Amino acid sequence: MVGLRRLAEDSREISRRSFFAILGWLAFLAASLAACVEAVRFGYPNATYEEPSLFKAGLASEYGVGSTTVLIDKRVVINRDPDGIYAFNLICTHLGCTPRYFTDVTSDLVAKGIGGLRDPLTGQSASPANPAVQGFKCPCHGSRYFRDSVNFYGPAPRPMDHIQVQKGRDGHLLLDRHSFVDLTTRLKV
Amino acid sequence: MKMIGAAIDEIYSVLAQMVSSLFRHGLPLTDKIAARTALTNFVLHIHPVRVRRSWIRMSYTLCLGGLSFFLFIVLTVTGLYLMFYYVPATSHAYQDMRDLQFVVTFGGVIRNMHRWAAHAMVITVWLHMARVFLTGAYKKPREFNWAIGTFLLLITLLLSFSGYLLPWDQLSIWAVTVGTNMAKYAPIAGPYTRYLMLGGRAVGDATLLRFYVAHVVGLPLIGFLLMVVHFWRVRKDGFSGGL
Repeated sequence: MVGLRRLAEDSREISRRSFFAILGWLAFLAASLAACVEAVRFGYPNATYEEPSLFKAGLASEYGVGSTTVLIDKRVVINRDPDGIYAFNLICTHLGCTPRYFTDVTSDLVAKGIGGLRDPLTGQSASPANPAVQGFKCPCHGSRYFRDSVNFYGPAPRPMDHIQVQKGRDGHLLLDRHSFVDLTTRLKV
Repeated sequence: MKMIGAAIDEIYSVLAQMVSSLFRHGLPLTDKIAARTALTNFVLHIHPVRVRRSWIRMSYTLCLGGLSFFLFIVLTVTGLYLMFYYVPATSHAYQDMRDLQFVVTFGGVIRNMHRWAAHAMVITVWLHMARVFLTGAYKKPREFNWAIGTFLLLITLLLSFSGYLLPWDQLSIWAVTVGTNMAKYAPIAGPYTRYLMLGGRAVGDATLLRFYVAHVVGLPLIGFLLMVVHFWRVRKDGFSGGL
């Protein structure tokens, strides 16, 4: 400390002793800093040995047009529409629970008089004339989604994350749960 | 006869020495000796030598701080017992918890003591804080101890949260999924914090082990150290009541 004060007063008058004192403090500071970084970095595993994000999901022909398939172990949904196949993570965008598939997620809301239950992507909507629309309901805080992952009720802030679907060399569908794609991306079959 | 008498004398003098090494001032028959006994005894020294009756009126403190500490001890002891039968691995945890309920003799008693004491401790700590706030006991010179108290409340809540995962049932897993996703919403540090808490991308084996270590070692140790300072400051700042 004496060294620092003297350094501030006149840098030309630094003695050997205070120079080494400063050096010592700097080394101590650097070592402490390194220890802090080490302590935090240690907590971040480099290998988690979790399930790989990439997995195969059979042949495209196994999925009928208009079908919705829930792969619950993978927490993934595979939909096939006339324009192709797409998949999304079955993870609620609110706080990460697993929504469940129901053939009707709207009629109780329609009965309560809640309007505007319309999917902007498909144009499909629930109305008193046609109250039952299929989709997903989250058990944690009641978010609801249409079949194509678009949220329409509850605290969920956005549609569920769509993931990449490719066709592997063996013709099997290859899905990657960690690479995200647009809501409108389809794999043409 | 003489030898027996000598032996009794010997035993008596050893016992007398043991007693006098424990209690150095004889029976506390006068105030002066009582004061000295309290001063020189490790267990008793946490209490002031002199306490006015009005300071420790039960209707003032409602014993909430003491109850919280008592529950902490209950939790430490019962927690120690539970550790004999509980393995913090996803393949074992749920079955071990069920075994404690249905197979281990008195397992249900120990587990329920731990569970209910945990709920009760959150309540008593919260009420203790409310009491301190409402009686204005957080004011100068006790601001520092109030600050330590807020950290102790945080430790209590974190202990509750980390213990919630350990039974490894559906409620545990999704509660921690939700809790760590809340942490994820924090700006910049959010996703990193979640990864650090989970030890991966989803609640799994690494998470269970992390929460277990935090629950049985990390948090209680920090809590204990804070409590030591908390009680020391109560002693030094004096009681706020009975004015």
